[in-house]
Amino acid sequence: MKRIKAVALAFLIIILAIQFLQPARNKNGQAVSKDFSKVFTVPGNVQGILKKSCFDCHSNQTEYPWYTYIQPVGWWMDSHIRKGKEELNFSEFGSYSKRRQMSKLKSIGESIENETMPLPSYTLIHKKARLSNEEKDLILNWVKNTRNSLSLKP
Amino acid sequence: MKNIILSMATSILFLAACNNETKKTEATSGADSTSITAVDTTLKSQKESPIQNILSAYLQLKNALAKDNDKDAASSGKALETAFADFDKSALPGDKAKLYDDIAADAKEHAEHIGANVGNIKHQREHFETLSQDVYDLVNAFGAGQKLYVDHCPMYNENKGANWISESKEISNPYLGQSMPTCGTVREELN
Ligand code: HEC
Ligand SMILES: [Cu+2]
Repeated sequence: MKRIKAVALAFLIIILAIQFLQPARNKNGQAVSKDFSKVFTVPGNVQGILKKSCFDCHSNQTEYPWYTYIQPVGWWMDSHIRKGKEELNFSEFGSYSKRRQMSKLKSIGESIENETMPLPSYTLIHKKARLSNEEKDLILNWVKNTRNSLSLKP
Repeated sequence: MKNIILSMATSILFLAACNNETKKTEATSGADSTSITAVDTTLKSQKESPIQNILSAYLQLKNALAKDNDKDAASSGKALETAFADFDKSALPGDKAKLYDDIAADAKEHAEHIGANVGNIKHQREHFETLSQDVYDLVNAFGAGQKLYVDHCPMYNENKGANWISESKEISNPYLGQSMPTCGTVREELN
């Protein structure tokens, strides 16, 4: 009994201690000129959907739900953000070559069609990020039109 | 400040001198066709394309996908990623090196994802589609050094269709695999 108490206490102390190890927040207002809304025409509803469902991991503007301030949830989120931004960053879309912009747009469409994005492990707790069928269609349409107009550019 | 200007001026002079020199050597080696080395290099450039390793990894990948083999596709994807990274562009003129970088930045990512997606051949094929466009542009810029065919499959992806590059005239479809191995047509021949 004493043993169990000691282990529980140690565990509690560790949990409390790691709360002080907060990863740096992914938020900055810089480099807006490279933002995808500056290089493409993005209607308000499309922008809104991408913002609530994708920007948390694919932009420099993460909106942190309260539970991400609790460790280790925050670390898990941080690792998603790092991997996600490497893959695709809406805040820096304008710095991609035309070839990569085309390629990323194609991947965005496919990830929504295949329902691999937004990450299912994320929408499990972050219900707001889930996409309805209408929202999917809106994004897919926008992707299609944007790819067409981009392919006509020299 | 004075120092900076001076060093800039000397480096510009130096660069200009270098440029002149390469032009001169080109001209002499061109005229001197009897020299063995000159003959050798022309023969070699006819036979072997600088993108030889990239092409062979790509074709290996294509053949693995045609056999529905996601594991072989992944290992060829990794080989392709390495081939892109190891490519020596030091001998290329500036504009070609830039074009190579542009294509490679995109293609490497696709190769990497194909390598990481054992068990998800559908996703491997999605990346293969974009990759095929990159390789097509690469062949047009650097030459194939062998006969290649650009094939088209009209049925892939709900009849949106897609292209690939093959070393043989017979169709062997990497998008539909063994379910429709001979679906497709030759669109273009590359040399
Ligand atoms: C919880 C974080 C998170 C959210 C939200 C999220 N992503 Fe991702 N995304 C990732 C991570 C991590 C990766 C890289 C690893 C992977 O593929 O699992 C990724 C990869 C991608 C890729 C590359 C896929 C590939 O393999 O080719 C695309 C495209 C993408 N995301 C688009 C989106 C879009 C569009 C949305 C919104 C509808 C979205 N993501 C929402 C985390 C996220
Ligand atoms: Cu992928």
